Amino acid sequence: MSELFEPLLRSYDERRRSELVAAYMAVEHAAEPVPEARLAALREPASRRTIEAMLNLSGRTLIRAGRTEWTSGYQDEVAEELARDPACAVLAGDRAVLTLVLIHSVAIPRSTGRLPDDTWLSPFPTPLEELRRRSQLAIGELESALRRLRLAGLVSQVRADGRSDNGDAGGFVPGPQFHRLTPAARRRLQEELILAAGPDSPLAATIRARRRSRERVQQEARAHVAREAAVQGENS
Amino acid sequence: MTESSVDAGVLARARARVLGAASQPVSEPTPAGLNTASDGERLWLLPVWPDGATPALLDEYDTAPMPMDRSGQARRVLAAALRCCWTRLDDAPWPGEAVPVPAVLEVYAGMSRGDAELARRWATGELRRLSDTGWLLLDESTGVVRPGPRVALWHDDTLGPLRDLLRRLPEPPQGVIAGE
Repeated sequence: MSELFEPLLRSYDERRRSELVAAYMAVEHAAEPVPEARLAALREPASRRTIEAMLNLSGRTLIRAGRTEWTSGYQDEVAEELARDPACAVLAGDRAVLTLVLIHSVAIPRSTGRLPDDTWLSPFPTPLEELRRRSQLAIGELESALRRLRLAGLVSQVRADGRSDNGDAGGFVPGPQFHRLTPAARRRLQEELILAAGPDSPLAATIRARRRSRERVQQEARAHVAREAAVQGENS
Repeated sequence: MTESSVDAGVLARARARVLGAASQPVSEPTPAGLNTASDGERLWLLPVWPDGATPALLDEYDTAPMPMDRSGQARRVLAAALRCCWTRLDDAPWPGEAVPVPAVLEVYAGMSRGDAELARRWATGELRRLSDTGWLLLDESTGVVRPGPRVALWHDDTLGPLRDLLRRLPEPPQGVIAGE
């Protein structure tokens, strides 16, 4: 059954092996990042390398969340491939709703200093009414989108009770999947959010310029490789 | 098409995780390193976990799995569906039988106290969610439901308590067991 993992686990004794399996299952299936104090295999760099190799078999990677907590997510190059696959892409309506939640729950509080820079989790819910008004989706479509996003862990619902400032507060915040972003994915999302929330801002202009120059470098690199290949072809 | 730098097997396993329990015709080649469940026509791709572990292992480490809204209700509706679809309890639950949705709603209403009509309505929503997550296969156009491919991952030696529980649930309406 576990032929896939056997080459990586074979050399460990039974105890170490079960610690590795437990840590692998925990980072893959826990709702939140798991503290390394709870799972022996997460405490040592050598066994973390084995867990990383186990995750890599399915295009996943170990992600540090906080100083001593761990979770897993897709490797950047795998995420890029999957995003190109229409069957794997999130529906446009669902993406729109998620973007609104990120703008209201993260971008706006962050711009006013109420939320630290590198977090995608937020205590500030986006009210359902705001989503209804801004998403331009019919209420039935909006509800289906929210059902799918919640099921995928991309948004969480916050109940109205316990808030003092506004009786009918409550709504939606980014879900636990946002723990699972790699540093590069977090950076990319941050840039996308700036482009979405303030397309005319100086920061957005900087991001566009940086992307253009990066593309130019990549194109030049590709052209260089093509030239080299052509030269080699002529020479052989 | 640009050429991918990612190994094809790695990408296939990553794709299977994104799609949940995705299916393909049985005639298509199966990517390596995945579990499969087939009903003869289609083949569902399911994850392989090391050393037979399941996410239930998280319990032993005081670690919460992904939360599910109204999980108690979802579990009871899944039980009601299995009461109807898993007709030979000594066999495996997969692939089981396809049964009309009203039979499942009837069993569920018999399990719950209070307004039976309301119970049926709740259960209809749960059937949809259980189908989204691969625990059941719901065909809304024909109004039938059957076990989902994820139940094929249940180890036979863990099924005892579930069999006992299902025997104690209300019986499906007449005719369902015969597959009518």
